[in-house]
Amino acid sequence: MNREDAVRIVMSMLEKNVNGLEMSEDKMDKTLVDIGVDSLDVMLVIMDVGEAAGVTISDDQAEELDTPEKIVDFIIN
Amino acid sequence: MLGIQSIASYLPKGRVDNLEQADRFETDREFVEQKIGVSSLPRFEEQDSVVSASVAAFSNLCAKESIDLAEIECVVLCTQNPDKGGLPHNSALVHAELGLPEDCACFDIGLGCSGYVYGLSVIQSFMAANGMKKGLLFTCDPYSRILDPEDKNTCLLFGDAASVTLISETPRYTLASAKFSTKGAGSEALQKNGSQLEMNGRAVFNFALQDVPKQIRRVLENAELKAEDIDLFLLHQGSRFMLENTIKRAGIPLEKAPIRLSETGNTVSSSIPLLLEKELGKSPGTILMSGFGVGLSWATAIYTQVK
Repeated sequence: MNREDAVRIVMSMLEKNVNGLEMSEDKMDKTLVDIGVDSLDVMLVIMDVGEAAGVTISDDQAEELDTPEKIVDFIIN
Repeated sequence: MLGIQSIASYLPKGRVDNLEQADRFETDREFVEQKIGVSSLPRFEEQDSVVSASVAAFSNLCAKESIDLAEIECVVLCTQNPDKGGLPHNSALVHAELGLPEDCACFDIGLGCSGYVYGLSVIQSFMAANGMKKGLLFTCDPYSRILDPEDKNTCLLFGDAASVTLISETPRYTLASAKFSTKGAGSEALQKNGSQLEMNGRAVFNFALQDVPKQIRRVLENAELKAEDIDLFLLHQGSRFMLENTIKRAGIPLEKAPIRLSETGNTVSSSIPLLLEKELGKSPGTILMSGFGVGLSWATAIYTQVK
């Protein structure tokens, strides 16, 4: 999967699951907490991203993914 | 054929204000109300016990049904937090409190949130195999006994309650189809460590959203039914956010799946019977119940109304 597809998946899953969130490039390196994603939303976003990208994200790995950019990096690597 | 004749419940008088708890844990009140979905939690007080709460549920059942104690041939009690450490089995203590006859089988079942769906099947099968006509299934799992007071993930979630279901040969609902599953390798997600409960919220969440909808779909397929054919879906009330998303992923129409845990929290094996008691008055034709949690264990069953 290329970066462009990964960014699209991460942005769309964030917008789908977080009420009122509109994603933009400048939010990619902000922490999920700072862009208004609470601890329950994070679990749903990580699950949906994993399923959409066809990758398995373990609990320990998920704990480290605290920005949209880190989620993108994880699924393309 | 044996089935569910009636049901009653009991909530202890003790209460914990969950919004005050939210303040104590420096957690946003709106998050607790809207996402966890719990404003107030019923809690055992010092004088409460599994036995006293079960007996209180039975008293409430007697207010609805005329029950001859001499006819009760079986008592099954589902708990993982029994009185006296489970020795003796608490169903025997309930048997004594109710003054039930000696010709009455009593045993406990150690299951968590899947316990009611399992328990119904176990008691009906046991009674049928042994020619019994009337029995009682109790649920009472006071998690307040094992909560770590500093753990907000569990303290904000669990409430104490008890229920009793009358199983008889003159049922209102009988079992049509069921499926039982276990993922023992995932059991660390929800376990007692020492004397206190530990929960890996993410693992439980993933389990509920990924495994439970699959089982619900399988049970529907096996029964050659679609979600539209079911009148009422009673899912274990774990937390509002988890429930909403499990319902969505299972393709269940939202209006058919009540979410009602604001004043009870997650009452473990009592959550489905608490809902069922409230919903029976509407006489739904077909009910799908799904319980999931500790084990990891999950069970789904379809019950149909006896015409």
